[in-house]
Amino acid sequence: MSLIDIFDPKAAPKPIGIDLGTTNSIVAYVVDGQPRCVADCDGDPRLPSVVHYGEHGQIIVGKEAIMLAPTHPRDTIASVKRFVGRGADDAETKLLGTYRFVASEDETDAKVIKMRVRDRIVNPVEVSAEILKQLKKNAEGVLRNVGGAVITVPAYFDDAQRQATKDAGRLAGLEVLRLLNEPTAAALAYGLDGNKNGTFAVYDLGGGTFDITILRLDDGVFQVRSTGGNSALGGDDMDRAMASVLLSEMGFDDPSERTPEIVRLAMDAARQTKHALTDQDVVDVELPAKGGATVCKRFTREAFDALIMPIVEQTGPACRRALRDAELTPEALDGVILVGGSTRIPAVRSFVQQMFGKEPLGNIDPDQVVALGAAVQADLLAGEGNADDVLLLDVLPLSLGIETMGGVAEKILPRNTTIPAGAKQTFTTYADNQTGFEIHVVQGERELASDCRSLARFTLRGIPPMPAGLARLEVTFHVDADGLLHVSAREIKTGIEQQVEVKPSYGLDEDQIEDMLLDALDHGEEDLAARRLAEQRVEAQRILMATRQGLDADGDLLNVVEHAHVLTAIDALEASLKADKVAPIESAVAHLDMLTKAWAGRRMDRAIAKAIGGKGVEDVARSVENAGGIEAHLGQQTEKG
Amino acid sequence: MNPFKILELEPRFDLDLDAAEHRHRELSRALHPDRFVGRPASERRLALSRAIEVNEAWRTLRDPVRRAEALLNLHGIDSGETSSAKADPELLMEMMEQREALAETRASKDLPRLRDLSATMRDRQARVLDALTKAFSHDPQTALPVLAELRYVRRFLEEASALEDELL
Repeated sequence: MSLIDIFDPKAAPKPIGIDLGTTNSIVAYVVDGQPRCVADCDGDPRLPSVVHYGEHGQIIVGKEAIMLAPTHPRDTIASVKRFVGRGADDAETKLLGTYRFVASEDETDAKVIKMRVRDRIVNPVEVSAEILKQLKKNAEGVLRNVGGAVITVPAYFDDAQRQATKDAGRLAGLEVLRLLNEPTAAALAYGLDGNKNGTFAVYDLGGGTFDITILRLDDGVFQVRSTGGNSALGGDDMDRAMASVLLSEMGFDDPSERTPEIVRLAMDAARQTKHALTDQDVVDVELPAKGGATVCKRFTREAFDALIMPIVEQTGPACRRALRDAELTPEALDGVILVGGSTRIPAVRSFVQQMFGKEPLGNIDPDQVVALGAAVQADLLAGEGNADDVLLLDVLPLSLGIETMGGVAEKILPRNTTIPAGAKQTFTTYADNQTGFEIHVVQGERELASDCRSLARFTLRGIPPMPAGLARLEVTFHVDADGLLHVSAREIKTGIEQQVEVKPSYGLDEDQIEDMLLDALDHGEEDLAARRLAEQRVEAQRILMATRQGLDADGDLLNVVEHAHVLTAIDALEASLKADKVAPIESAVAHLDMLTKAWAGRRMDRAIAKAIGGKGVEDVARSVENAGGIEAHLGQQTEKG
Repeated sequence: MNPFKILELEPRFDLDLDAAEHRHRELSRALHPDRFVGRPASERRLALSRAIEVNEAWRTLRDPVRRAEALLNLHGIDSGETSSAKADPELLMEMMEQREALAETRASKDLPRLRDLSATMRDRQARVLDALTKAFSHDPQTALPVLAELRYVRRFLEEASALEDELL
């Protein structure tokens, strides 16, 4: 194996799907139309999401890292997903307390968690990137050349957590085709299997997160009706509940007496016991007691069930709310899909059965189903599958709002809005000659902005001085298919259009990401430039291919002159690829883009007419010149609280 | 923005929601960003804006209050909540009583009573929706007070189901 150069840039790049889990991560791909997981040499596809930072800077991911955890608990990061996109001062951050968190210096600094491992400081994005790198490497062993990747996230992840996940992908050198919600991925894996129509619930209880999603499958379109959950609830909580029982048995009732090593030992024993109790009714655990003796604790299934029931029951309200949001009763469901290792637990299965009144489906391994679905989506996006057959229509998991006077969060896009989605809101100044306006975007269901998750706070400047209430600030929000928010704003009253592009961040800005990328590469800037060139080339090739396909399909929508111009621009772009420079390629792409703009509009009109069955074709046809970007198409928000 | 036009549907209040949903699905199939991966930037932007528009139209039409507002808009009638400020005092009175009843079930944690209240209100919603259909087919102007009633009913139902969550 070591003699073979695994990565082969000449091999055709294959898209991959990644389930970046709290406890385990899996990478999968599609071969002969069927998704398949990449397994390690033992045949196990699960890569434990554990990263060990070694003494000499080496980084170890997976099973070997787990082995090092008992002796190096602080230099071995597990369940990093729980910290992704979270701030240093978030309550949940303190829960898994064995790491050395670096105190934040100021408010900006506090937006991202930092942990000290050995003599370096890492953040959750970097730790996640190590896991992704390992998965990429494993995939290259099978596929030789890895193309774009679809990475799954819990449906309940907020904007900051999604952005952080995407950045981790970039940092790992992956082209992130799409962030996909885990339950949707699971449904995709099941949907292609049976190709059935109907309404399904996906109950996903993993190591650290719980998601419930109700979705409808109609002729290959997966439409998410509602989604909900808890981004800090899962099997880890069960382990902790058991570990605390075990720690008492061991004589460590007082938390201050517990060393990280002892806690780790109890957690490992708890996890093993939990797994064993899936098939057995009684499990005996032996552990060292305080003072050197050995204690033996007998765990019965009943005792275990009683211990975890409060945790399992916490999933109930979210299930009921998701059903209500979808305007459904449990009887209306055609099936329940189980996802996540924790759904192997018999008590969880019977809870689900009781909740929804039907036997849950479980014929695909609940650990693998998300990765398999992600692989299917990656294949579709890369244009390898039969893209006409399947489409995912996902939703915004948490309401988006802005803080208004008095600290109230006014919702501008409610949860469960189908994405991509957009809304416009108009604001006015409240003081004479006010030239700046602060906007605070929040995410969540709570009444007060301070109880919601803060996504972005930005100031619009340069408003011309005028009396209070005269300026009209129009803020446009749009959520893309990854569930990521983009905000832009302009002052319209005076005709001065000031455009501000705001990308909410979870605390790391573009420069910091760039720095981390440079650090990650052995030869720094040189490599980064080479990578940019490679990326630009791939992008250009894709555009060339898409344009040629467009000419074949819709060439008749171009007049003779336009046709000739497009052909010339194609040639120019091809010529630019021969040079080893980014700039000429960029400008050739931009030129082709500009020349094909009007044509793209006509093609879209044709696609729309086709989609609605040829009805009202003339009505649908819109003048391309009037297509003024996203803003022009957004309706005024009329809804008021 | 005229949501009926975007989905190419006849503007009417008693819309066939299944047909409208089907239309939304078919248009999404043509316009969703997933269909434009690897296409030039301007094409992707255009498709994105159309996809957003289609989603927004469906969100408007599936909600009876927003659907009624859109129809009134088409008729050039201001449907904002302020325009119907001259709300029927009798209706106001009745709704206040209903909300008091709701507050009582919150205090007494009386789930069966809450479900009764919701069921009664849902029946009422069905009647109001019928009345709205009639109003629109007859004279859109007469839809305004009925729409005001629908808003009250919907808000009550929303609060009731939030309360049900709390009590469960």
